[in-house]
Amino acid sequence: MSNNALSNCADCPVHNLGNLKKLGVNMSNFDFAIALAGNPNTGKSTVFNYLTGLKQHTGNWPGKTVTRAEGGFEFNGKRFKLVDLPGTYSLLSTSTDEEIARDFILFGQPDVTVIVVDATRIERNLNLVIQILEITDRAIVCLNLMDEAKRNGIQIDDRILSKELGIPVIPTAARQGEGMTELTKMIFDVASGNFICKPHRIKSSSKELNAAIDVLIKEISAEFPNLPNTRWVALRLLEGDQSIIDAIRSGELGNIKGINTIEQSQLVIS
Amino acid sequence: MTDPLIALIAGILIIGFLSYIFWPNFGLSDKLKRWTQDTERVQIEDALKHLYDCEYRNISCTINSIAGNLSINADRAAKLVSRLEALGLLAIQGEVLQLTAQGRSYALRIIRVHRLWERYLADETSTKELDWHDIAEKQEHLFTPEQADKLAAQIGNPVYDPHGDPIPSSKGDLPTKKGKPLNEMLPGEFANIIHIEDEPPAIYSQILAQGLYPGMQIRVLEVSDKRIKFEANGEECVLSPIIAKNITVGIIQLEKQVEGKYKVLSSLKVGEKGTVLGIAKALRGQQRRRLMDLGIVPGTEIEAQLESLNRDPVAYKVRGAVIAIRKQQADRIYLESKESEKG
Amino acid sequence: MNNHNVNREAILAAANNLRWEVGENLHDTLMESIYENATAIARKAVIYPDKKPAFSFDRTLDKILTSKYFGFPLMLLILGAVFWVTIEGANIPSGLIASLLVDTLHPLLKNFTNSFMPWWLSGVLIDGAYLAMAWVVSVMLPPMAIFFPVYTLLEDFGYLPRVAFNMDPLYKKVGAHGKQALTMAMGFGCNAAGIVATRVIDSPREKLIAIITNNFSLCNGRWPTQILISTIFIGGIAPAYLTGLVSAAAVVFVAILGITFSLVVSWILSKTILRGEASAFSLELPPYRPPRILQTLYTSLIDRTIFVLWRAVIFAVPAGMVIWLAANITIDGVSIANHFINWANPFALIFGLNGVILLAYIIAIPANEIVIPTVLMLTVANLGLSSVGAGSGVMFELDSVADTASILHAGGWTLLTGINLMLFSLLHNPCSTTIYTIYKETKSVKWTLISTLLPIAMGFSVTFFVTQIWRLVVGS
Ligand SMILES: Nc1nc2c(ncn2[C@@H]2O[C@H](COP(=O)(O)OP(=O)(O)OP(=O)(O)O)[C@@H](O)[C@H]2O)c(=O)[nH]1
Ligand SMILES: [Mg+2]
Repeated sequence: MSNNALSNCADCPVHNLGNLKKLGVNMSNFDFAIALAGNPNTGKSTVFNYLTGLKQHTGNWPGKTVTRAEGGFEFNGKRFKLVDLPGTYSLLSTSTDEEIARDFILFGQPDVTVIVVDATRIERNLNLVIQILEITDRAIVCLNLMDEAKRNGIQIDDRILSKELGIPVIPTAARQGEGMTELTKMIFDVASGNFICKPHRIKSSSKELNAAIDVLIKEISAEFPNLPNTRWVALRLLEGDQSIIDAIRSGELGNIKGINTIEQSQLVIS
Repeated sequence: MTDPLIALIAGILIIGFLSYIFWPNFGLSDKLKRWTQDTERVQIEDALKHLYDCEYRNISCTINSIAGNLSINADRAAKLVSRLEALGLLAIQGEVLQLTAQGRSYALRIIRVHRLWERYLADETSTKELDWHDIAEKQEHLFTPEQADKLAAQIGNPVYDPHGDPIPSSKGDLPTKKGKPLNEMLPGEFANIIHIEDEPPAIYSQILAQGLYPGMQIRVLEVSDKRIKFEANGEECVLSPIIAKNITVGIIQLEKQVEGKYKVLSSLKVGEKGTVLGIAKALRGQQRRRLMDLGIVPGTEIEAQLESLNRDPVAYKVRGAVIAIRKQQADRIYLESKESEKG
Repeated sequence: MNNHNVNREAILAAANNLRWEVGENLHDTLMESIYENATAIARKAVIYPDKKPAFSFDRTLDKILTSKYFGFPLMLLILGAVFWVTIEGANIPSGLIASLLVDTLHPLLKNFTNSFMPWWLSGVLIDGAYLAMAWVVSVMLPPMAIFFPVYTLLEDFGYLPRVAFNMDPLYKKVGAHGKQALTMAMGFGCNAAGIVATRVIDSPREKLIAIITNNFSLCNGRWPTQILISTIFIGGIAPAYLTGLVSAAAVVFVAILGITFSLVVSWILSKTILRGEASAFSLELPPYRPPRILQTLYTSLIDRTIFVLWRAVIFAVPAGMVIWLAANITIDGVSIANHFINWANPFALIFGLNGVILLAYIIAIPANEIVIPTVLMLTVANLGLSSVGAGSGVMFELDSVADTASILHAGGWTLLTGINLMLFSLLHNPCSTTIYTIYKETKSVKWTLISTLLPIAMGFSVTFFVTQIWRLVVGS
């Protein structure tokens, strides 16, 4: 995978961290908006601080960040706005912190969503990754806390993981700054369209559920043909999500446009 | 300076007096509020609900049944009925009272608020189950439709109340009654009688003779070509299939009777492992969603790891993470019984 | 457009009908599918170690920190140690800063400004604004520069969730949420931050309880008061070598009293206006992580301490001006401040406080940090003590605790006044920032009012009973 990512970017300037410029709170004229999502206490704010040079509070307990924070950085001449979101276990429940994260990923339409994943609790974290992949095509998994995973003897094949999820996976240890160069590069590549994702979609074995979703998908795509995540909207409607209902009523949903719909995407991942 | 003793006594008296007035629910100010509440509106709305209930269950409704339902005397009930008619909410056809379209939509509005409130109380508030109905009964008279919509949005626009009854949509839609004839049920199934056909009268009277009425809960014991045996209110009834065909029932999914048979999570001692079988239906709303978010779904391996005082809460190892859960929830998470082993 | 509306409503109606059909199990089914997917992916990509290590540091430490016998004592010990380190460590730097900013700089500034300003302008600016600021800096900076780093180290290590785990049985008993312990812990830093942290609580009822009771955790703006008063009045009774320990114990006692009040109030709330039983609680206990000491020191000093200090200074400057004006504008030959103090004194005495304290708390609504400076300044102005300080409305040098003590004693303060001030400092309305934050979080005037008025009502009741019982037992 990493080979491909590089070859995709053969004409890019040489990558190194020297190209990273921390911009702090300066986010004027940014080219791309990047969201940092993930389970609580996985190191989102640590990644955020590393890239922006800001001092967002971090703490070793779930729920440290409850409001969203923004900062900027520059890489390869492009300016990025980075948004640190509150940690969430899921996007399907209905609590305040989750709404902040969910609304930003869906309606804020970041150019790339970086999902910070705790390498020592992969399955639980994948739950959220899978949900986010229903909403957006452009995502990167930042497989953080690799130092702890190694210490606990957990081996993770990031290539397989990447292949299964259909998006790039970058192993990191944010506290030590390891893997940050690769992460920045990948953010750049996905944001500028050098790397095209083909995200995993939920496969459900429930016939009842699938049938209901199919009915709704048909109705929704007739009204909102450009929507990139119709299936997810259908799911949320079935769960009675008010902000989706409002977005349908007001037509705001029509503003969400997919850039890499699956039809256009060529398979990039080896 | 005053004598401290006198000051103390005065202080205690003042606090006692203030709490006598302002103590929530029992205090004078709340009592006063209750007395001055608009009783007429409450009665009108209660009567409408009763009328709608009759209509839904397909039984006829009279002044007497209203009096009984609202526990008022027949005189008052008669006055109430004529008031309802004057308001255009009700049409009187001889003995039988019928809701007008306007009355029906009014009734549905009240029912919507009532069921929404029950759902809200059940999912979000940890109010005791016994209190749900009474609180909802009060709120249904206070809420405007707009407030109801807001509440609904806040709790994810539920479509069923915690008792399994459908919640009318804000436009007053209800799902068409689902149900099947009693004779098509299988042994062991639970059901509610939702409808008894009153034609032909001969069969109808036979059904009534058995003491059956809509809303009654039954459990089927035996089904054959010749007869259907079932239990209703603790008594056994037997009907022939031809008669049973005239009774429509709705199957209810009673929660799996797991207690006793299966292990619960809270029974794990520190160091013991188990596999999750499921979460009881009694854990609803946010609580249930949270547990699932954390990875507690059927098939998950789980191990007790740390105990707090009195073993409540206990921290469990779930999918790599250590998660503390209160006993109250752990009691309602079922484990596969055979696979438990010392870890 | 109209056509669109029809279509959209049709989608929503279709969804509603389908929901009646698929029933209530939808969410369960969905989550199960997602986890099935997740498990399948993880099975391919992750290899877990075959055997668990025989010894796990985390587990062993958890067993100790949450054990039946050591859990609570360790919590107390850690809390006590944090306060003790703060009190002992802050003493000398506080004096140094005060002597620099007040003893040395103040006369210089005063002389300088007097040379070209009218007396009242230099009074407002130097004796009012500057001195208030200097005072706040010298009382607040040293304790915070010690407390915040120590506290952040604990937080980074992962101790807070264990506290919540230990405390949950208590919170459950009173119908509250175990994560309330986390928000209370945040409240020790700043109540406004504690209020925002209540977002981690899912249940709206329990969240409200946490918001209303957050004020009972002693925020950093209030410990200068606690520390100073307990050093003077309580530590003062003990032999000199124990002063530090005894005053730390007194502060810890007040902090614990605050936690107790929060539990009692939570219980009353869940029996009355926020009726309900404790609901679900799930809390992830993260692994312990060795804190990065240097980085923590740097961030909590530069970031937190300076930030909080800045806020205190911003509030102190106008308050200092107000105090100076109140002490120097006279009606019928008596200053406005004295009018109020004399008027409020009889009322305040019932609660074992005095008019000065009440006025100080009114002036200090924007920020608790300035209570002590205000109290001292008003006492001096009220007594007309001309030997100390530079006249009415001047917050003067207090480089030694003994000086402060002598002024307060001269103002008629007793041990009872000290105790009541400590209690009242724990139990009074939240500062204006916190009130605003409560409003933003609850979006309700009613709950904001309740959170504001409840503690102050409790403060008056508690000090009233303490005073009257004291007088009954000890005599006055
Ligand atoms: N060992 C190690 N620790 C890390 C790493 N990244 C972050 N941490 C630590 O993990 C803890 C949580 O980090 P945060 O950045 O606050 O996590 P978060 O995802 O923002 O958490 P919430 O705001 O609660 O959602 C902190 O104590 C960090 O120091 C890492 O790569 N290795
Ligand atoms: Mg964070």
